[in-house]
Amino acid sequence: MSKPSSKSKEFFIDIDDETQNVNQQSGYVWEEEYKRSWDVLQEDEDGSLKRSIDHLQNRLKRKRLLRDTSTIRRGIIRNMFLIIDLSEAMMEKDLRPSRLDLTLSYAEQFILEFFDQNPISQLGIIVSKGGVAERLTGLSGNPMDNIIALKNKKNIDVDGEPSLQNSLELARSSLIHTPTHGSREILLIMGSLTSCDPGDIYESIEDLVKDNVRVSIVGLSAEVQICKYICKRTKGTYGVVLNEAHFKDLLFEIIPPPPVSVAQSNSKLVMMGFPSSVNQSSPYLCACHNKPVTSGYTCARCNSNICDIPTECPICELTLVSSPHLARSYHHLFPVENYTEVPWNSATTTHCFACQISFPSLSERTLPKNLETSSGRYNCQKCNQHFCIDCDVFVHEAIHNCPGCLATSQNNLKSLMGQVNGNFENYENYEKMNLS
Amino acid sequence: MIDLKKALDAGGHCLLEMPSGTGKTVSLLSLIVSYQMFYPEKRKLIYCSRTVPEIEKVLAELQNLMKYRKSRGLNEQFLGFGLTSRKNLCVHSEVSQEKWGKVLDAKCRNLTASWIREKVDLYPREEVSLCDFYEQLDKADTKELLPDGIYTIEELRDYGKENDYCPYYLSRRMIHLANAVVYSYHYLLDPKVAELVSKELSKDCIVVFDEAHNIDNVCIESLSIDLTKPNLDASARSITELSKKIEKIKERDKEKLDEEYTKLVEGLKVASQSRDEDIFMANPVLPDDILKEAVPGNIRKAEHFVTFMRRFIEYLKTRMRAQHVVAESPISFLQHCREVTYIERKPLRFCSQRLISLVRTLELTNLDEYYALHKVAAFATLVATYETGFRLILEPFENDVVPNPIFHYTCLDASIAIKPVFERFKTVVITSGTLSPLDMYPKMLSFTAAVQESYSMTLTRNCFLPLIVTRGSDQVAISSKFEVRNDPAVVRNFGQILVEFSKIVPDGIVAFFPSYLYMESIVSMWHDMGILNEAWKHKLIFMETPDAAETSLALMNYRKACDNGRGAILLSVARGKVSEGIDFDHNYGRAVIMFGVPYQYTESRILKARLEFLREKHKIRESDFLTFDAMRHAAQCVGRVIRGKTDYGLMIFADKRFGRMDKRSKLPKWINQYITETAINLSTDMALVIAKKFLRSMAQPFEHGISLWSLEDIESKYHNNDQNVAKNGFTNRRVSLKD
Ligand code: SF4
Ligand SMILES: [Zn+2]
Ligand SMILES: [Zn+2]
Ligand SMILES: [Zn+2]
Ligand SMILES: [Zn+2]
Repeated sequence: MSKPSSKSKEFFIDIDDETQNVNQQSGYVWEEEYKRSWDVLQEDEDGSLKRSIDHLQNRLKRKRLLRDTSTIRRGIIRNMFLIIDLSEAMMEKDLRPSRLDLTLSYAEQFILEFFDQNPISQLGIIVSKGGVAERLTGLSGNPMDNIIALKNKKNIDVDGEPSLQNSLELARSSLIHTPTHGSREILLIMGSLTSCDPGDIYESIEDLVKDNVRVSIVGLSAEVQICKYICKRTKGTYGVVLNEAHFKDLLFEIIPPPPVSVAQSNSKLVMMGFPSSVNQSSPYLCACHNKPVTSGYTCARCNSNICDIPTECPICELTLVSSPHLARSYHHLFPVENYTEVPWNSATTTHCFACQISFPSLSERTLPKNLETSSGRYNCQKCNQHFCIDCDVFVHEAIHNCPGCLATSQNNLKSLMGQVNGNFENYENYEKMNLS
Repeated sequence: MIDLKKALDAGGHCLLEMPSGTGKTVSLLSLIVSYQMFYPEKRKLIYCSRTVPEIEKVLAELQNLMKYRKSRGLNEQFLGFGLTSRKNLCVHSEVSQEKWGKVLDAKCRNLTASWIREKVDLYPREEVSLCDFYEQLDKADTKELLPDGIYTIEELRDYGKENDYCPYYLSRRMIHLANAVVYSYHYLLDPKVAELVSKELSKDCIVVFDEAHNIDNVCIESLSIDLTKPNLDASARSITELSKKIEKIKERDKEKLDEEYTKLVEGLKVASQSRDEDIFMANPVLPDDILKEAVPGNIRKAEHFVTFMRRFIEYLKTRMRAQHVVAESPISFLQHCREVTYIERKPLRFCSQRLISLVRTLELTNLDEYYALHKVAAFATLVATYETGFRLILEPFENDVVPNPIFHYTCLDASIAIKPVFERFKTVVITSGTLSPLDMYPKMLSFTAAVQESYSMTLTRNCFLPLIVTRGSDQVAISSKFEVRNDPAVVRNFGQILVEFSKIVPDGIVAFFPSYLYMESIVSMWHDMGILNEAWKHKLIFMETPDAAETSLALMNYRKACDNGRGAILLSVARGKVSEGIDFDHNYGRAVIMFGVPYQYTESRILKARLEFLREKHKIRESDFLTFDAMRHAAQCVGRVIRGKTDYGLMIFADKRFGRMDKRSKLPKWINQYITETAINLSTDMALVIAKKFLRSMAQPFEHGISLWSLEDIESKYHNNDQNVAKNGFTNRRVSLKD
């Protein structure tokens, strides 16, 4: 380093600060930004903020909803690895309560929701810390195994930096053994902005591409180039969270199955067994865990005892599902079309078709200062019925059937059947099946 | 852009500040090309940029533009190419391997000088080696050498290889046929080269200086010379060499010397007799200042000239023995010189010219060996030619300790070198991302701008965020001010900024320090404080050094670390190579941190002399100039991050002095516009909160293509406004090219 003598030679002109007095307001100018948030809100005549807040909220709700409803092929059998970054960066508290706690609780919700929507899929968990990757659970169709693994305190302490390459390679090595009719996916939750890799990550990425693995990443702090690249290259999605709610949205975007890529789209028949359930008074050992159980299923092919489905038979490797599982996956293939917002000039209806709540009337059309509100009505393109926002959300997120369309077909059916043999029981069954 | 058009019509100069990375080059080019094509005179475009990569970029833009024009149904004859040194263009299998530009030039001359080529007729072919590429070119008809089109430097080389033409000389010969020429500043400003390439350019050329925020320094450098002790020693050796050669030639070929003598008596300008390409050591003074008279008698004879030079070198050597700093005007230097050595001013003034003539007569090869002598001759000529605006400074010690005497002959007045350019060409456009405050440049360069404008930026999103951090989280003010710069509290706060930002900024961070010395001392303090170890956890750290090779290696690894997700910090210096000309786009620079205000080293005698000069001549206060200079460098540094619409980055100014109005007002408008009240007086932790939010929102998917003007808008504007075709054509293109 330089000698002090020469250092002191270097010198900068200083026009002194204190003499030139800049208008200094209080030091906390930055607070301004947060002070005036109420300016955005509008009061209506009777001084209530409610409607304008409602308005904002509705918009948010819908935004989350509008997804692609075109009927494309989607792989409903999915094999996914959830990779969780357990580096020191996860201890940051910029997401409440902390990145780690939030991630874990969302991961749990994600796993439940994932299996709920994709019952015949499999999921495993990998964590990465201290430059290495570790597999907590292998691919399995059982949500509880995964959740229990995440709850284990020993598994979730943080350390050092994560390793992108190691964890991707580990996930890949397990995924390549899965049959080609299922999708291969990786969901990575990444808090760190750095990665500690042993080799050239670009090679690993090419391998992933070759093996048809789709990688989606949710970043917790900022956009990292390599993550963006991985997602783009493997046709996954990349999102960076803005806040806690946005984090959840990004995660849950992964839950509907992705469209099938051309490479794996050659159709294939998959053999599946529908096991019958058994209830015994005396406990017996299950074939999957070697634990004594009293109720479970027997494999449709080899009759071994399994404690839970969907799963793969541990003996004969047959995929075992129940028919409701298949039915639930089915809606991804034929989604209900998005409802469209009804403009005020065609807002003729007064009540929601489904829940009968009354719609705002024309007199409430504008807010003070001429802010246009929405009419609160949403139209199904097929049956032309109007629904409220809550029903809209519920239809698309939970029941996956449009009540309006069903009612119309119901009426058709009713009249049809009534004409033929007047058998109403038949119709009743039909309805049950549809709503299950 | 209307402003530029006005300037073109009026034939005036203009000064335009345009945000960098937003299609500045292409906007300029498209307007000018439209303009060129619309009017029958076809004014030539001369586009000056700083570095070879930048020249390449301009050419690539021009190529795109012409492609676009073609797709729009315009079938035009347009020739454009770049001019650069032999080093970048030579295709000769052996010569082009040479690493040093100077040696390469000399080797090429050994193959192409006229007296060597003449020998071919006398001796059998095998004994004289010539460059085939050059010979081919020489035989060909100039008109058919190069078909219309735009050639990048690479393409020009390929073209040369294919057709067996030397691309270097090809480009030089094609200048007068080209519609657009792109080259570096020096070709226009530095008299040593300008004479070669730019003298045939006609008056109505449109000259553009891009990235011109440093143009005053380029002007000054082009007329300044530094002589060192080794220089003098080498030239003394060359002189001995020369006299030996003269002896030899006297025996063999006395007529030649006599012939030269008579020519000199007649006062013929020797250079003009042979073709341009033969000029290898050009006169260092501006063309107008060259005396067009006969060379004075006492140096006409070759051996007299040699003794004359020897005496002059001896004189310089004795001066260098001085133990204290000397600063004097050229006049007093000349006077002293005359008293001691009886060397008059006039012959000194002819030194360069005389040397050139001698070299030609002696048919010298390997001119690189005479480089030092040439320098001394240039020094002599310059000293004797200019009186005002120059200063001689002798510094016997480096850093005041190491004895390493240097004789600086420095130009203080930037306007001298650029004056001929302004006088000669009708329209000179000076543009850059950082020219604020605009009135400084016309003052320094003494010209009147017909148009002077600073453009703000309309962005589809606020893609950069300037933050002024004035204190650390502990509320201690931070500053690179001399009194506090080594204060551990300040250094720790600087370090904390680095560590904290390395935690939240993805991929690359570039940090700038005011100087190498300061960087070194801070980094070593950081090391002792453990701050480096802390930062290491999040990013790798690279450092710029004065060594070019080392720096480019560091840069390469830095890029790699940014690419593969490890993340990196590059520590560099505000006036170093990195701060100029190297872009840190996208992931290569998500944040720039300016540690301190990059003031110049004010103890430098050269700077002091210049400040004094500016004060006296232009009434520019010292502090004003220093602040101006510091801020333009700061702006230049932070401007490195944002390169295009999809890019985004943080600009962190870490010094409490940045918060003051006098500093901020000197930042370009497009940066200033986005400095919010909230961001001018932040502590580290507050800055972090804002930065985090910014980075998160920038990571959201970017909606493309909100063109500010649609085609219809422009057409309606066109009809109402009666603007001419050039303008209309231009804006169309802007819309479509930028999406
Ligand atoms: S004439 Fe051209 S190709 Fe030949 S050596 Fe010189 S620069 Fe190279
Ligand atoms: Zn079991
Ligand atoms: Zn079985
Ligand atoms: Zn409803
Ligand atoms: Zn419907």
